[in-house]
Amino acid sequence: MKTSIGIWGLCLCAVSLSKAADIKVEKAGAEKTSLDLSAVAVRGKEPAAFRTTLVNDLIRSGWFTVVQEGGAIVLRGTCIEDGAGLRARISARNKATTKVFLDRGFSSTPDARRLAHEVADALVKAIIGVPGIASTRIAMIRSNEGRKDVYVCDSDGGNVTPITRDGAVCLSPSWGKGRDTLVYTSYHQGFPDVYRLDLRRRKRMRLSGFPGLNAGADVSPDGRRVALTLSKDGNPDLYILDLRSRRLTPLARTRFAAEASPSWSPDGSRIVFVSDKSGSPQLHVVSRNGRGERQLTWRGAATENVAPDWGVSGRIAYSSKRGGRYQVCLLDPAGKRNWQLTREYLDHEEPSWAPDGRHIVYTRTVGFRSDIYILDTLGDPPLRLTRLAGNWYSPDWSRE
Amino acid sequence: MVRRISHLLPVVLCVCVLFVTGCPPRDKAPDGIEDLDAQKPLPGDIPLADRVPGIPVTDPESRFPAVLFDYDSFMVRDDATPTIESVAAYMKRNGDVNLVVEGHCDERGSREYNLSLGEHRALAVRAHLVRLGVRSDRIQTRSYGEENPVDFGHSEGAWRRNRRGEFVFYR
Repeated sequence: MKTSIGIWGLCLCAVSLSKAADIKVEKAGAEKTSLDLSAVAVRGKEPAAFRTTLVNDLIRSGWFTVVQEGGAIVLRGTCIEDGAGLRARISARNKATTKVFLDRGFSSTPDARRLAHEVADALVKAIIGVPGIASTRIAMIRSNEGRKDVYVCDSDGGNVTPITRDGAVCLSPSWGKGRDTLVYTSYHQGFPDVYRLDLRRRKRMRLSGFPGLNAGADVSPDGRRVALTLSKDGNPDLYILDLRSRRLTPLARTRFAAEASPSWSPDGSRIVFVSDKSGSPQLHVVSRNGRGERQLTWRGAATENVAPDWGVSGRIAYSSKRGGRYQVCLLDPAGKRNWQLTREYLDHEEPSWAPDGRHIVYTRTVGFRSDIYILDTLGDPPLRLTRLAGNWYSPDWSRE
Repeated sequence: MVRRISHLLPVVLCVCVLFVTGCPPRDKAPDGIEDLDAQKPLPGDIPLADRVPGIPVTDPESRFPAVLFDYDSFMVRDDATPTIESVAAYMKRNGDVNLVVEGHCDERGSREYNLSLGEHRALAVRAHLVRLGVRSDRIQTRSYGEENPVDFGHSEGAWRRNRRGEFVFYR
């Protein structure tokens, strides 16, 4: 009798815990752990920037509040800049149980912001057990005074850096593996071609220059292939380009239908994309050898379902036109369930998942003005990312 | 006994066929959405030839008005036919000239999907020219999606003017 009660109790606990990991759509805001940073001492000008960035990163991770006393977890340590460079030593301890989550030094970079990002991510990993997003970057397009260019910024909106400067029409920046590779579509040589940008070596190389359209490039999780839209055979169709062998595999080819916006599944086996073969733009999925194509969404209350991004958590974020406006939604790839994450009567488009599987960056357009925002699938309010003049859109969140 | 089974056979076959082909597509709802296949059929896909560099042609004879498209459609309208026929005639008179058809969309809809729709518009105009006897390797396509409007307004009029195909010649 006692054993069976115990087993039932365990099962209920397991169910409630798994439900807690499920996505909550309420506006209540997520649960947070309090961190006491009062015992972290900083010396010098750079270290002050370190402290501000660290606090901001910890709050933006969504997992923490930062307090001056009475926190559940106490941080101790220092950040010093001297002749030997910039370095920090941080420990994090559970106040009640005295369990030590972290106790180590950091000195990888003389850049105080980057060092703070590194510490914040280490704390998220050590305390919560998931990847942090402080060191990640976001690529996007800025359209300003008639010029369009690719920009990159830190995930906290700082360090906004122009990547291209030719002002030519460009679209769809998309990260490859790591934080140094971007692919995008540019017209700077006269036609829409796909290029790879090496951010470290500051070089640009054309990946695809077939006749007609080359666009919508998305790099596979292993970095070896690119899914993209080509019209070279007389119709905009989806292909996979193997970057080493340069071999092309047709993925989805339908006469009279437009295909666009491919996005790889996290395990690299399938691709979700947009096709209007059913009469309106809807989401479809196909395996990477081109077989087993399945329609995932249909025209109904939502007239269009576009711009998919397949996140590490396994759910597909996309933009759904409902009641005349685009809303960011999530879809379970078995196609059975979907959730609407945004509600305001304005356009929310082009979602891109953060590698923490929790945050999503997207384009918010109101009155034909666009800016980039970050939403939290666990309920924290959205945050604005871009502040400079111009229209900012087509964001993509780096994979690490 | 045998006769009753043979009566059942067509029923069984129909059920099997329905089972294999699945239910009819849900998009054929009576709410005004037209099936793409119901549009005027286009000729089979005509592959694009390699791009050939050239210098833009600027003389007045090479300027043609844009041809306009309906919302979310790449079907060449009947009122576009005179312009396209003039373009074909111009290209036949000037055998050294090549053409890039540019496809454009209005600002509504997804940017990436609009690139493909704009490309469809350019390809449709190109197919029409090929039907009129212009060699297909003389015509390239270039879609700008919604990136290059001719009217920066946000009205129905602006949207209509932006849904267009344009003709750019090179020598």
